[in-house]
Amino acid sequence: MKSVRPGLPEFDYIRAETIEQVSELLKNGKPSRLLMGGTDVFVQMRDGAFSPAILVDVKHLPGMQSIQKTGNKGLRIGAAVDLNTLAGHPEVVKSFPLLAEAAQSVASYQLRSRATMGGNLCNASPAADTAPAALVLEAILVAQGSNGERRIPAHDFFTGPGQNALQDGEILTSIEIPPPPKGPVGRYLKLGRNAEGDLAIVGVAVLGYADKTSESGFRFRMALSSVAPTPIRVPTAEDILESRTIGDETISAAAQAARKTAKPIDDVRASAGYRSAMVEVHARRALHAVWTALGREA
Amino acid sequence: MTHVGKSEKRVDALGKVTGETQFPGDINMPNQAYMKILFAGRPHASIRRLDSSAAEAMSGVLAVFTAKDVPVNEYGLIMPDQPVLCGPGSAKQYADRVRFIGDQVAVVVAESEAIAAQALERIEVEFEDLPVAQDALESMAEGAVLLHPDRGSNIFCQYRIRKGDVEEAFAQADVMVESEYRTPPQEHAYLQPEAGLGYIDDEGRVTVNVAGQWTHEDQEQIAHALGLPVEQVRVVYSAIGGAFGGREDMSVQIVLALAAWRLHQRGIDRPVKVIWSREESILGHHKRHRYVIRSKWGATKEGKVVAAECEVIQDGGAYAYTSTKVLGNSTLMCTGPYEIPNVKVDAYSVYTNHIPGGAFRGFGGPQGAFAAEGQMNKLAEKLGMDAVEIRLKNVLTEGALLSVGTPLPEGVSIGKVVEECAVRSGWKRSGRGWKKPARKRLGSPEEDHLRRGIGIACAFKNVGFSFGAPEQNTAIIELHGKERIEEAVLRHAAAEVGQGAHTVLAQMAAEALDLPITKIRLVVSDTAVTHDSGSSSASRMTFMAGNAIRGAAESAMEKWHAEERPAVGIYQYRPPPTTPLDPKTGKSEPNFSYGYVAETVSVEVDTETGHVRLLDVICADDVGRAVNPQLVQGQIEGAVVQAAGYALMEDFQEQGGEVRTVRLSTYLIPTVRDIPERVESVILEYPDPIGPWGARGMGEMPYLPLTPAVAAAVRDAVGIWFDTFPLTPERVLNALKESETP
Ligand SMILES: Cc1cc2nc3c(=O)[nH]c(=O)nc-3n(C[C@H](O)[C@H](O)[C@H](O)COP(=O)(O)OP(=O)(O)OC[C@H]3O[C@@H](n4cnc5c(N)ncnc54)[C@H](O)[C@@H]3O)c2cc1C
Repeated sequence: MKSVRPGLPEFDYIRAETIEQVSELLKNGKPSRLLMGGTDVFVQMRDGAFSPAILVDVKHLPGMQSIQKTGNKGLRIGAAVDLNTLAGHPEVVKSFPLLAEAAQSVASYQLRSRATMGGNLCNASPAADTAPAALVLEAILVAQGSNGERRIPAHDFFTGPGQNALQDGEILTSIEIPPPPKGPVGRYLKLGRNAEGDLAIVGVAVLGYADKTSESGFRFRMALSSVAPTPIRVPTAEDILESRTIGDETISAAAQAARKTAKPIDDVRASAGYRSAMVEVHARRALHAVWTALGREA
Repeated sequence: MTHVGKSEKRVDALGKVTGETQFPGDINMPNQAYMKILFAGRPHASIRRLDSSAAEAMSGVLAVFTAKDVPVNEYGLIMPDQPVLCGPGSAKQYADRVRFIGDQVAVVVAESEAIAAQALERIEVEFEDLPVAQDALESMAEGAVLLHPDRGSNIFCQYRIRKGDVEEAFAQADVMVESEYRTPPQEHAYLQPEAGLGYIDDEGRVTVNVAGQWTHEDQEQIAHALGLPVEQVRVVYSAIGGAFGGREDMSVQIVLALAAWRLHQRGIDRPVKVIWSREESILGHHKRHRYVIRSKWGATKEGKVVAAECEVIQDGGAYAYTSTKVLGNSTLMCTGPYEIPNVKVDAYSVYTNHIPGGAFRGFGGPQGAFAAEGQMNKLAEKLGMDAVEIRLKNVLTEGALLSVGTPLPEGVSIGKVVEECAVRSGWKRSGRGWKKPARKRLGSPEEDHLRRGIGIACAFKNVGFSFGAPEQNTAIIELHGKERIEEAVLRHAAAEVGQGAHTVLAQMAAEALDLPITKIRLVVSDTAVTHDSGSSSASRMTFMAGNAIRGAAESAMEKWHAEERPAVGIYQYRPPPTTPLDPKTGKSEPNFSYGYVAETVSVEVDTETGHVRLLDVICADDVGRAVNPQLVQGQIEGAVVQAAGYALMEDFQEQGGEVRTVRLSTYLIPTVRDIPERVESVILEYPDPIGPWGARGMGEMPYLPLTPAVAAAVRDAVGIWFDTFPLTPERVLNALKESETP
């Protein structure tokens, strides 16, 4: 099917039914691009970032749109599950509310009915809202290629702005969320210029849980979006929270560590200075929220 | 009354809700060709050479038109200072220059949009860049690079007001407030980007089907540029996807007509279609004007303002558009709806290489009001006086003289409007005067870093064209039937820009004819079958059309009773005349009607992030008579939301002629979750003695007080006056930090 739309270059659209078919298409030499919700692909094509001869729609491959429990309370999320489905899925809401919150923070309802988590991660924008959640949940990104399956930890997946660790011919098929630690509490705080629809100026995901083996009795994981070339974890802050008695002071110290880790830039949305300041504020707020909830449960 | 005062269902509701309504971009004609426009893409340059031969030679390209193809290569609503197409080859002096990035250089007509787009890239243009004027203050200085060298100065309009003696009065004043206000540009961001069709109609007229605000003015400007008699040009508006003043000047109108006409002359009779992308729309049409307003006001300790001195500098951008008229409003409104015995105003419109400034809801009023209300609120604070109290001591009353030395027309209600707004917002009046609501009434924020505050502002805004501009509105009513009227046809040019004009026209016709609204048939917005209505702007259409419809109805009924069939009544309504500002003193009769408005706003400021959240907005607006209360409420809420964007969020970034906010993902307008939590519309009805059924205009008024009321509320919340906006979180946070460091 040829498609000519004002503003979009011409392309062929192919709906792939099997992984093998995708591998074939990717190998045949014509410039091609994988397509899921298209909410990044079409915008970038319209902007002339690339003009593939073929768009290979992979969201109808087997398993791409399902969410399944794995052993011991983990989840396997098809890469093409749309963000509204993800945010409303009972298992996600129950076991990984942080992920639901992150999915819910993307754009608007309309957009989320097309946008997928796999697309969000593969697009590898520093501002990707589901990325910090994937980082703190220590998700495994499952890729399929001609050489079979490869399991890539989230923290190895983002390699630069718009760049990911997938190799030529590989496609992301699912995101596995390992079983959560016991009694986890998570928050994702996103700051945009408006309340709905803007990309993050700063995003902070925090996951905390009680753990007797740590000095503080707790462990925290923290990740940031929009303040570095890729979404990042903040080990310095995590260390502080594990080694010091948790209270306002420790939380502030961790938030400051997050600020130091962030390497934001100036852009049309905000200055680097404002972003830095907001990393600290939102890290502190997210930590407080998590800490308060942990305290309530304990 | 059976129709006026009722919230009748909108006549366009069904079509718009079902999607049946056709906007210009939706309309396709058989055999149409497609147009793309080559924009300058640079802020200031002269075009040394332009070669379109390679583009013309491409297969699928029908024609490329440039400056040499425009018969009279100039246009402009107020003065024809803008080339239709910039470049060499036309008789217009300095038309070879581009003066802002959205200047149009060439148009390509092709078999498809894609081919037209490719052809644009084949047009060779050799630019010689010129120095870029980015600042009105610099641009008005001696020796600045001239945008229009034939004019000798970048100052293209100047007004002054001299009333009383400000120096003497300042000497008597107990308190003084001096400030410099800076107001930002704003993008209209209407839903529908510019689009349309140009073709030759059955009667050989060059016809343009677009979205605009004034069919007959578009027609005149097209005819002028094409060197054709007006009758040979026809302008039709199909549905219009919002306007807000942004369609008052030409965008695609003239080039569509030019393309259709030139093709026709070459024996090619094909409709030509264009649709602008959002980027083209944002670069291609004007913006709300940036202003710098320097104000110095003095008051007595009793709270009476005795003198006001203002310097008003308007950044007009590259071309005049409606700047001079906008400046007139700011000149009048920079001293607010107050009786001030001594006033001195110097106002300037200045060319720069910015995207031109032009009409936008409020038309110079919002900028004036920001300065005036800022001054008033600061004076109140200095005097330890309540903000309502000081206003009521100074508001204009029946017979009181404006800064321009004449009284307002009868029906002055600003005092009552301010009182009503204050009472609704919790102000109390006692023997010691007015007192604002206690802090606890604002509710307590959930967190320590949140602070709440409340502020008030008020404003007046003219209804109709001002300062001597010709003003009229013509309606035609035809009554069909034998014994009884079966159908009444109302022919009227009014642009339905989404405000509900057509619904209100039908209601007023039904009322005037005493007929059920179902018997009214509208024939609208087509120069071939309607007479000139003037524009849908200046909050004027209900007022003007209502008076014209009443006259036409009366005349048609007379003829009906005299047994004429059909009975046709034509009536041209002319309001009382207005007069221009006297060049030395500013003395004038500026307007024939006004609307009055007051607003309170409560805010919550996050002192850690700088976010300002609007809680409650209470707007009291004297509309004279709400012809359709639901539409009035829609206008109030819409104006408040649009002004909220202006005050807090809309941050148009244009540097060195480069715009960083060319899309709605970078230029943000409020979403449903950003708007005030509650907007209460208090519709007041103090009739305008010359308004139809007492109605005043109201589409712009609620826009005016919002920003200064927000500034006052933020001051109340965190103790900082902002004289510049938008109050983006970053701006607010920076100011908070600065105020912390001693
Ligand atoms: C108006 C608007 C608002 C937005 N707001 C936000 C926001 O608030 N937060 C946010 O994070 N994002 C936002 N986005 C970006 C975008 O919607 C998200 O990144 C979305 O999740 C992408 O998913 P998709 O399914 O549409 O991806 P697609 O556009 O289909 O694909 C995205 C990228 O991944 C590649 N790809 C697709 N499928 C695969 C696969 N199986 N394996 C490998 N590579 C693949 C594509 O080639 C492309 O490069 C917004 C976009 C728009 C248009």
